[in-house]
Amino acid sequence: MQSHARDIRDALLFSAPFLLVYLAFLVAPIFYGIFLSLHEWNILSGKSFVGVKNFADALRDQMFRSSFLHTCQFVLLSTPSIVVAGFCMALIVVSKSRLNKAAEALFFSPYVFSITVVGTLWGWLFQKNYGLINQVLNSFGSPGVGWLTDPVIAMGSIVVATLWWTAGFNMVLFVAGIRQIPDDIYEAAHLDGATNLQVLTRITLPLLRDTTVLVVILQIVASFKVFGQVYVMTGGGPYGTTRVLVQYVYEAAFTYFKMGYASAMSLYLFLIILAVSVLQYVAYRNRRR
Amino acid sequence: MKRTLIVVMVVFLVSGMASFAGGSKEGAKPQEVGFWTLFTGGDGEFFDAMVKAFNSSQQDIVMNNQSVKWQDYYTKLTAALAAKTAPDIVIVHQSQLINYVPNNVFVPLDPYLQSVKADLADFEPKPLAACTFGGKIYAIPLDVHPLIMYYNKDLFAKAGISSVPQSWDELVKAAQSIQDSTGAIGLAVDNTTATYKAYTLTRAFMSFLMQQGVTLLNDGATKANFNNDAGVKAIQALIDTSNADKITPKGLDYDSSVSSFKLGKAGMHFNGVWATGAFEQQSGLNFGAVQFPAAFGAHAAWADSHTFAAPVQKSTNTQRLTAAASFMMWMTAHGEMWAKAGHIPTRKSVVAKPEFKSLPYRKDYAEAVKYVFAPPSTPKWGEIYDNLSDMLEAAVAKNMDAHEALSQMEQKVNDILSK
Repeated sequence: MQSHARDIRDALLFSAPFLLVYLAFLVAPIFYGIFLSLHEWNILSGKSFVGVKNFADALRDQMFRSSFLHTCQFVLLSTPSIVVAGFCMALIVVSKSRLNKAAEALFFSPYVFSITVVGTLWGWLFQKNYGLINQVLNSFGSPGVGWLTDPVIAMGSIVVATLWWTAGFNMVLFVAGIRQIPDDIYEAAHLDGATNLQVLTRITLPLLRDTTVLVVILQIVASFKVFGQVYVMTGGGPYGTTRVLVQYVYEAAFTYFKMGYASAMSLYLFLIILAVSVLQYVAYRNRRR
Repeated sequence: MKRTLIVVMVVFLVSGMASFAGGSKEGAKPQEVGFWTLFTGGDGEFFDAMVKAFNSSQQDIVMNNQSVKWQDYYTKLTAALAAKTAPDIVIVHQSQLINYVPNNVFVPLDPYLQSVKADLADFEPKPLAACTFGGKIYAIPLDVHPLIMYYNKDLFAKAGISSVPQSWDELVKAAQSIQDSTGAIGLAVDNTTATYKAYTLTRAFMSFLMQQGVTLLNDGATKANFNNDAGVKAIQALIDTSNADKITPKGLDYDSSVSSFKLGKAGMHFNGVWATGAFEQQSGLNFGAVQFPAAFGAHAAWADSHTFAAPVQKSTNTQRLTAAASFMMWMTAHGEMWAKAGHIPTRKSVVAKPEFKSLPYRKDYAEAVKYVFAPPSTPKWGEIYDNLSDMLEAAVAKNMDAHEALSQMEQKVNDILSK
């Protein structure tokens, strides 16, 4: 009994530095945010209690609904494409090709750039009048495309930039997952005369299910939080058609001085992400049984 | 060994004391005053040069300037004001003052201006009045930067246009003739969000309204005031630029609009005076800059203004505030140095100086300072400005019916104002 108590004490002591930072900077602000969402506060003056008014106002706010819709569009476009892209990259990296080490570095290196660098870079590549992509198109006689100015394709362009930036992360997870599959299984399959496609669909994919669920959940959560690259590339335009929820929260808090309202909207986002993640995890666990 | 150590230590200590015992030969240390600005790039260089000149012109005050990236500036400023950790002086746009002054985070400057015998009558009345709330002066305007019109002299000559257009019809005709004879863009006005929202559209809209004697919001800023004949004329003109008249391409963002004028590919260009510096440095660009045309009658143009304000600190320090007031008056009195960045000075004595008059272009639009108007004074202005920019952008891009666009804008603005 004594050594058990000592183990607990040691565990607490060793994790104390991290726990303190975690509680102070991650957990406490969440509760403060909940507290703020019940008030009206313009940062510079006092707070006034308004109960659930902010939550009710958000549901009636056309811009809250449209921003949420745009975020959902981004999630639906980015999740399958970036997950699949990461998987394809992983297949290249684990293959027997001599370039696989170079490929790994090439695929992952965009991930080290900061969000503003990626947004500015792609913002200029996609620029309608002076961007590189349209200049290349112009040299073939095409008038160029409004990559970021056409409301139909602007979100797609943002997804392309995001894919370039973050698919490498998914690749790393898939590579780790594939390498955990014992070689004997592949050897046995080849001895039995399985084609590459059969190996992929009957062995690799099923054995990667844990990794895939992880990658998809992480991708969905990250996509729901999208803001930086949209803000830098289109500023939410054209005429607000790519404004995502986090951008609206940021503007409400810091440009319109409505901290309480912004906190209420972020709470909605938190609950939605929580619900989606829980649903996914539960569905996965049920299929396993 | 021990004795040597003691001797060395004693020598050390005595020599140390001797250097400190010198007394104040240099006299009192100058008053240090801290500062935040949001000027970067060309603006930043001109401003730093002015601060250096101020510091070397006298011994009593030393200004320590810190430049903050302008995108982060107001977030950082608001946080610092809330915590009362902001520096002694900050730059604030006049349009932002309404968000801060009613929360009592800036010090009323009247007593300190009086103690340095500030010549307030030397200021142009409108910019200074825009910094006055409840009869007290809360900020000193350094400059006024209105919307103006740039035009390419070479393209005008090629198209056979001999005088700068004044009315809207003249402007449209001139733009079309430039396009027909030279292939350049007739009128470069940004109408798409990219790095910036299409603010130029909103600024032009407000200016057109004011030229017809109509303010964007009613007195007291409780309701929209633009869903009327004046509003229809104003918005129709903007919608037509990219549709019926085809003098402005669609999907033109701010950077492209500036670049096309810079590269000599646009006949006329609406922008703020801050663009003058960049155009000046473009070799081969033969351009002129004039007040925003009185296209709908009277002269009137949107303008904002960089002002100096003094944040409230945890404890009031009269010395620092008096030093701040001194600095503010010196900087505005030397506005011809700031005018190199393109901005218009706010003091009559500066506009009269030969150094200012010798600057190209600035004197051509300095008159504009008499016709500027401030944005509506309401804390909801940020949200209204953003929303109007989006909706004007949509109206132009989708070639909307003027009345429908105005109703939607009116509904949105009233909705924001009523919350």
